[in-house]
Amino acid sequence: MDANICRIDDFGPLPVVQPASVAELSDIVRGAALQDQAIYPYGGRTMLDHGLPPTRPGIAVDLRGLTQVIEYPARDMTITVQAGITLAKLGELLRPENQRLPIDVPDADRATLGGALATNVSGPRRLGHGTLRDYVIGITVVNDEGHEAKAGGRVVKNVAGYDLCKLYIGALGTLGIISQVTLKLRPLADEQALVILTCEPHAVAALLDALHRSRTRPVCLELLNDAAVAALNVQHPGLLPDAPRVLIVGYEEKRETVAWQVQQLIAELPAGTLKSLESRVGSTADPLWQWLVEFPAWSGALLTFKANLLPGATAEFFAKAADLPEGLALQAHAGSGIVLGHATDALTLERARAMLAVLEPIATAAQGNIVLRRCPTAWKATLPVWGKPREDLWLMRAVRQQLDPKERFNPGRFLV
Amino acid sequence: MTAPLLKRLRDLLGPDALLTAPSDLLVYECDGFTIEKNTPDVVVFPTSTEQVVAVVKACNDFGVPFLPRGAGTSLAGGCLPVGGGVMIALTRMKRILEVNYRERYAVVEPGVVNLWLTNHLKPHGWHYAPDPSSQGACTIGGNVATNSGGPHTLKYGVTVNHVLGVELVLPDGRVVRTGGPAEDNPGYDLTGVIVGSEGTFGIATKTWVRITRNPEAYRTLLGVFETVADATNTISELIGAGIVPAALEMLDSLILQAVEAAFHFGFPLDAGAVLIMEVDGLEAGLGDEAERIIAIAKKNKAREVRRANTDAERLLLWKCRKQAFGAVGRLAPSYCTQDGVVPRTKLPHILNEIQRIGTKYQLRICNVFHAGDGNIHPILLFDERDADQTKRVLAASHEILEECVRVGGSVTGEHGIGVEKIDFMSKLFTPEDLGVMLRLRNAFNPNNRCSPAKMLPTAGACIEASKAGRRAAL
Ligand SMILES: Cc1cc2nc3c(=O)[nH]c(=O)nc-3n(C[C@H](O)[C@H](O)[C@H](O)COP(=O)(O)OP(=O)(O)OC[C@H]3O[C@@H](n4cnc5c(N)ncnc54)[C@H](O)[C@@H]3O)c2cc1C
Repeated sequence: MDANICRIDDFGPLPVVQPASVAELSDIVRGAALQDQAIYPYGGRTMLDHGLPPTRPGIAVDLRGLTQVIEYPARDMTITVQAGITLAKLGELLRPENQRLPIDVPDADRATLGGALATNVSGPRRLGHGTLRDYVIGITVVNDEGHEAKAGGRVVKNVAGYDLCKLYIGALGTLGIISQVTLKLRPLADEQALVILTCEPHAVAALLDALHRSRTRPVCLELLNDAAVAALNVQHPGLLPDAPRVLIVGYEEKRETVAWQVQQLIAELPAGTLKSLESRVGSTADPLWQWLVEFPAWSGALLTFKANLLPGATAEFFAKAADLPEGLALQAHAGSGIVLGHATDALTLERARAMLAVLEPIATAAQGNIVLRRCPTAWKATLPVWGKPREDLWLMRAVRQQLDPKERFNPGRFLV
Repeated sequence: MTAPLLKRLRDLLGPDALLTAPSDLLVYECDGFTIEKNTPDVVVFPTSTEQVVAVVKACNDFGVPFLPRGAGTSLAGGCLPVGGGVMIALTRMKRILEVNYRERYAVVEPGVVNLWLTNHLKPHGWHYAPDPSSQGACTIGGNVATNSGGPHTLKYGVTVNHVLGVELVLPDGRVVRTGGPAEDNPGYDLTGVIVGSEGTFGIATKTWVRITRNPEAYRTLLGVFETVADATNTISELIGAGIVPAALEMLDSLILQAVEAAFHFGFPLDAGAVLIMEVDGLEAGLGDEAERIIAIAKKNKAREVRRANTDAERLLLWKCRKQAFGAVGRLAPSYCTQDGVVPRTKLPHILNEIQRIGTKYQLRICNVFHAGDGNIHPILLFDERDADQTKRVLAASHEILEECVRVGGSVTGEHGIGVEKIDFMSKLFTPEDLGVMLRLRNAFNPNNRCSPAKMLPTAGACIEASKAGRRAAL
């Protein structure tokens, strides 16, 4: 893509500006306000096709110029950085201090912290480590008037003022452009292990229930179907055994604790339900971890959905989705009730609609929803990209009406 | 207050669900923050969401301010009825509506006392993780409003990390449900901003909370130090070494005297400070982690590190910690518990400053706090009958909090802004920051009729006061 223009969902071309400082960013927003232009912020463009197409002409703002580390007091286990920093770069900064932000972000070389926050990215480790809302302790945005406005602070515990950090996370940039963030950090784990179980589809529900009762404390509980395993084995031959269903249970902790849990899990598993069992400890687990983090953003997908459910409903939803004629590649963060489904080229709009008609009621019955992470732009006009509206939508609109009354930021793109 | 409103409230709720006699109202003139007092015109005790809605609508019809109250243990004056009006006490909405272990959540009414929930879950081996020291009295509704912390929130996270959804009666009487037991619902995380909004966004009538499995094992250690500095250095080093204990609490020598007199734990009365250091989780590897902690404490000149050898000993130690505030009554007729936060590496500095400020204002100050989070609780001892002492307490509190801000911290880690710290908001935040917060409040509470004069410094400007506003008890 040309560096000076940008298209979002075929909308555009939008002229691109790249501020080198927050002051410049503020000027840009003020300028756009004067000319009544819309603003489309972006970072690494890894999720730029997430959401609906823009509805108003305007400018695209490339935030990758804002990469300063403001403060890294490692012994306080916090860091304050500008939001254009990539997740990979952030990881490099933290590693020498034996620290990390334990959030899984695909395409970390390109994905920026601001983008990850705006889309509230998470992955397998959310079961053990939570999501971004558990780590952001301070945030600064450039608001609709071009002013810097912050909330929170730089200390790990703080209840002064409204916790706007929560509001900006997952708001797709509609309430302000995230310019600076303070994070609380975690120590790197001493040891890791992945236990790989394979089974027949009918055994999944009982296995997940057993894992829920396990004495061990997994940090991830991933469920894959055969199509997902096939997609993996095309990229990395032999990384997983071919099987109808694969369950991957991850541990990250002290060496002794990880070793005990692997043994304990093996001892606990109900006999007769498994086809195979294997564990990978230490760095031998790296390639599979990495793939589990990346697969939610799989580029081979024409359409990707994300369902959120009560965790106990995962098995049923997964089974129904796997039985659809589309041959979906499915990955579930099964301990958290998140199911990601990828459909490949064979899908048509009509089939997509039919598929969602089957899956949405199951998701909403499980107190959740289903959103489209990605699909062809032309389909977005008729598919429920942001899922089924919930009863608090009007209040969300009231919040937006207050914080971005002119709908200056990403107009048309979000649910709100 | 107008008689027609009172009549309507009585008709709505029944005669035994409201208090109007001055002697009854006296109980409600303040909460745990006793420096400012003001009685509400009436206190009502609804038993359902529908009743809360009806009360709120009545208040709107009569243009009268109202505010929610839980157990009234707020230490920031969150329950001070500025401008009088209707106080909505939620203590009769005290049912645990649902517990779902498979889906790891519970649904509770706002008046459920924090500890009741944990006690309810205990037979199944689960608990509700946020454990404020006041957990035997404070309500989950109050915890949601103040985003409470507690000793074990160091590892497990504060209230907001455990709230999945809220049913809120908005200040205009509409009811909304945000979030829910499934994670990651699309749209704004309204639940996340409702938590910690100190009653200014409406009245929480139901909460979906995450429940947590009990750890299998604990190691609870008591590090005894000659000086406060040795104890605080230990804290910095533990955190810096990447050890995240379940809890890390400090008590200084003055508070130890009081706690020992009250509970006879066997604390060393000649120690400068003690640290309660607890790790929990699976048995495997826990012993090693405890040894690492002991080694770091010893390296920082711990005189000894004791272990709680039995469950009973561990529980007694926690009782001493959690009821330490109560024991302070032995030291002085009145006390003011402060709440500030500093980066954890600044703990040695801030404790020195507290000592200096105490000397400067000729006040005794004792310390018992959530050290692992850098969340200090200096307790300033005084006699409120002595106006000069009271003045000095306020000045000293102020100076301590200013120092917290100066070193990059905050004026409240868990007790909230309430009315007490409203003047600090413009020191922590710019007019632009506050402008955004005000706009957010306008989305929920545009007329500022619900909990006026709380949290934001501009609040309260446009309420119709039925009584003189804030009355200091000085
Ligand atoms: C001895 C002692 C120890 C304490 N220790 C801790 C501690 O370790 N950690 C900590 O965080 N705090 C602590 N506190 C402070 C206090 O207990 C907490 O702030 C607690 O959450 C208040 O709960 P409550 O039910 O008493 O609420 P209240 O004091 O009744 O109310 C507090 C605020 O919440 C609002 N509110 C109450 N209910 C609702 C509702 N349903 N909907 C909307 N708003 C509502 C009120 O308007 C008020 O602004 C301590 C207090 C004492 C006295």
